[in-house]
Amino acid sequence: MLPPARRRLLLALAATAALALAGCAPKGDDGKQAEGETRATGTAGAELHLYNWNNYLAEETAKKFEEACKCRLVQDYYSDNEEMLAKLAAGATGYDLIVPTGNAVQTLVAQGALREIDHARLPRLADIKPEFLNQFFDPGNRHSVPYAYSVTLLGYNAEKLKELGLPTDSWAVIFEPRHLEKLQGKVTVLDSQRELFAAALKYLGHSANETDEAKLKEARDLILRAKPYWAAFNASSYIKELTIGNIWLAHGYSNDMFQAAQDAAKAKRPFSIAYSTPKEGAVLALDSMVLHKSGPRPDLAYQFMNFMLEGRNSAELSNMIGSGNANAAAMEHIDPAVKDNPAVFPDAEGRKQLEMLKDLPRRERRLMNRFWTEIKVR
Amino acid sequence: MHADTSTRTRSGRLTQWLVSGPPFVFLCIFFLVPAAIMVVASVRYPGEFGALAPLFGGRPGEDSGITFENYGVFFGDWIYAQIFAKSFGVALATTLICLVMAYPVALLIARSPRKYRDLMVLLCVLPFASNFLVRVYAWMIILGPFDLLFSRFAVIVGMVYVHLPFMILPLYTNLEKHDPALLDAAQDLGANAWNRFWRVTFPLSLPGIFSGSALVFIPVLGMFAIPEILGGKDDWLVGNLIKESFLGTRDWPFGSMLSLMLTAAVLAIAAGAAWLAKRGVARA
Repeated sequence: MLPPARRRLLLALAATAALALAGCAPKGDDGKQAEGETRATGTAGAELHLYNWNNYLAEETAKKFEEACKCRLVQDYYSDNEEMLAKLAAGATGYDLIVPTGNAVQTLVAQGALREIDHARLPRLADIKPEFLNQFFDPGNRHSVPYAYSVTLLGYNAEKLKELGLPTDSWAVIFEPRHLEKLQGKVTVLDSQRELFAAALKYLGHSANETDEAKLKEARDLILRAKPYWAAFNASSYIKELTIGNIWLAHGYSNDMFQAAQDAAKAKRPFSIAYSTPKEGAVLALDSMVLHKSGPRPDLAYQFMNFMLEGRNSAELSNMIGSGNANAAAMEHIDPAVKDNPAVFPDAEGRKQLEMLKDLPRRERRLMNRFWTEIKVR
Repeated sequence: MHADTSTRTRSGRLTQWLVSGPPFVFLCIFFLVPAAIMVVASVRYPGEFGALAPLFGGRPGEDSGITFENYGVFFGDWIYAQIFAKSFGVALATTLICLVMAYPVALLIARSPRKYRDLMVLLCVLPFASNFLVRVYAWMIILGPFDLLFSRFAVIVGMVYVHLPFMILPLYTNLEKHDPALLDAAQDLGANAWNRFWRVTFPLSLPGIFSGSALVFIPVLGMFAIPEILGGKDDWLVGNLIKESFLGTRDWPFGSMLSLMLTAAVLAIAAGAAWLAKRGVARA
């Protein structure tokens, strides 16, 4: 059996390879990522080791940084926080910078694995929008600097849903049988217990971090009632399925929906993919740069953080993958098509509806796993 | 003469150790030690951030030490028996389908002229040249247009496809060794084609069937990737639950307990099969 740590990456690579075989591959980014590890600018000596999400730094941005710092940027990738935490727990060292999501930052801080950040060395930190600073996972930003964010929302085939007269602004469309009857077998939801429970809890008017057993049961029942109408629990191929038109509605991440929308437009499909945040609220995942204690070059890491805090560089990320941007100075450089999407850049009112996932205590984790098993077996 | 025998035995014993030593050490390090770690982990509390809670001196209010709670959860809830039963059902179906599909292939190879056999075996193993996940993804593309994707059917198709060579190879190795003279003798004694197969070839191939079945049944039982990629909404098998416990909920003790229960169930089945086989052989 494959070690789970490499599995997701392999899945991604395998998907691209299989698609290429079938002759319908969108221009994949996986090839670029593989190059990342061997990229050399010829400058010997200084190296910055960055451990980042797949597809979370534009290649041009990386090159520009290497030129600016006269050093080599060595990248390694993960596809979920658990994979990254597991690798570090297994003793991986030498990473100067990591880009975990909030709850994983919380874990790393609690484990004492991070260096404190000297704010005096980050003059551009002031450009970060205040609503993204001083979060529960790191009060006072003593260990983390915001990098980018995504929202877990609904992506859909705009023409189909309009034709069927279904709402696209509410979780009701993936949970209520009266809507789902028209979408039998055309809906996928995320194969992640935290994310799916968060959506159900939000729809029921609770917090995404609810731990009360009765409320979790309520969410479980809601999910079980809707499940017969869904096509699958899916974590990776919904981008492709949406683009092809096999499914019409997906619960997923905003960055993925951005890619699906782009792919569908590029393939000149007779429909378009749109995405929106349900009015009941959704999950926001804020990824932050942190300094790992085992990293030998915190000086270069500070250079990188300052570089990424620069509006133009930060904007490249949003333009490339459609990620949300916490940097006020980046806004003027972001494509209007990305910036004007209220799903990813909500107004102050919409922003209040977004909630970050917190790490659950172990008893609640086990309880949720029990409910999840029931959902997956029944 | 006497001295000569003793040196021969001594060197024989040395050879024996040299040959059996490395696999023995390998098994100790890579099977027994991890198994022992799992046994220990299965009676601990999960740590707050994953891994395990401390054995001694946990902070007040925090669980520490030894507990049988994990086993209690397992035996106190029907859902886990259900998921085990489902996994065993899928593994059994896969094994039977593999057997039915692999037997004619193995027989064909074994009865082919010697010069073609190696080529045919090579063709059976050829799919291994490409990554397992790529091959499973290929099935997504094949099954997609027929609306068969994300179903129990797709899971079993994937499982059979991936594990078929593991059934063909042991069967072939066994069938190849059969003495053709036996079949000639049976024919001379008036046995028709069916009787020659059922009363000569099949009983002789039982060891091959058992080893092939074990090679298919056991990996299928722990497989999580195929149900995840090809499976539908209710196609979670015990492998998926174990993976989710370790990665999703970072509940190592629960995952360890599940793995041990799975190992115990497999051992019980293997023991049962061995006993049945022995009885069968004795009766034959």
